[in-house]
Amino acid sequence: MIAIGGLIVGVVLGLLLQPTLPAGLQPYLPIAIVAAIDALMGGARAFLEGNFTDKVFVVSFVSNVLIAAAIVWVGDQIGVGSQLSTGVVVVLGIRIFTNAAAIRRVLFHA
Amino acid sequence: MVLDENRPDRSMDLLNEILQQPVDPDYARVAASAAPPSRRRIGVALVTAVCGVMFAISAVQTLNAQPLIETEREELITQIEDQQASQDELRASLAASTKEIQKLRGAALGADAEGRALQAGLGQAEMGAAASPVKGSGLVVTVGDGPTSADLREARVVDLDLQQLVNGLWFSGAEAISVNGYRLSSTTAIRGAGDAITVNYRSLVSPYRVEVIGDPETLETRFQASAASRWWEYLGTNFGMSLEISGARNLELAGNPGEVLRYAKVATS
Repeated sequence: MIAIGGLIVGVVLGLLLQPTLPAGLQPYLPIAIVAAIDALMGGARAFLEGNFTDKVFVVSFVSNVLIAAAIVWVGDQIGVGSQLSTGVVVVLGIRIFTNAAAIRRVLFHA
Repeated sequence: MVLDENRPDRSMDLLNEILQQPVDPDYARVAASAAPPSRRRIGVALVTAVCGVMFAISAVQTLNAQPLIETEREELITQIEDQQASQDELRASLAASTKEIQKLRGAALGADAEGRALQAGLGQAEMGAAASPVKGSGLVVTVGDGPTSADLREARVVDLDLQQLVNGLWFSGAEAISVNGYRLSSTTAIRGAGDAITVNYRSLVSPYRVEVIGDPETLETRFQASAASRWWEYLGTNFGMSLEISGARNLELAGNPGEVLRYAKVATS
């Protein structure tokens, strides 16, 4: 499928080119990754349930990543960056697990 | 999944929303609107590729950071070792200076009767303050961790055990005590610092060799009857900690170089 192919191409590209992230953006990479995983899981669940729409997927991915990074950035500015990133990770983590459970139900009927 | 607006638990929306709407509700909304599904797969490919690049960058960065942390750690260790070496040097120079001060003081006091009396008084005071080295017969008490100390914290000698032992020896009539070569004075603290015990602010490791000057026979008999001996019997039977006492003829205990002049007044001449 195109999504898995894109993922593999991205990983290979990243490993080959090893682009360096600007130092100012580095603290937001982990939280952006968690948001990205959330969007991927949401997309996968929607795909398996038969109502996947690529526009929603693209928009939700971009907005999730940006909002997660923005929340942490704002937190950093007001001195509660680590607490806010914990909050983001908790909320997104719960969503990832529920989505993973739904995917599991569809795939394995268990 | 649309939540009923009049549920009794409406005030607890946050958790419900997280648990019941993990998928962006937009998927359902777009699907319900029955618009023709767009076929622009390029967006999906692009987004997943960006996602993959992010994973890769993050993994590469973590991998690159590891050797860096390792080298930092090694640098810190060398720094600590350097500092310890320079501390030892300073201690040696302090000891040399103390010796010179004593020599100069002896010269300044003079060799007449008054000077010699003062000198003798000073010697007595230094002996009491554990500032000068002493020689004599006495006991050597060696204590060590129990055999299970690697797993069991309780089987390690802690500061309290050593304090009990030393107090028991003072009680038994010890005149001078040193632990692993560090002389105890009235201001010495035996304390736990992390995993190590410090005496005179130096970290010691097991086994601890406690050298005591005093009459060996009375020392040993009185020590056996003391509370410290019972304390260590308990430690020995329960945790296998070792305590060995042996007599020694010619013990030499160094002075405690940490003693500084704390109080002085101008002589009225």
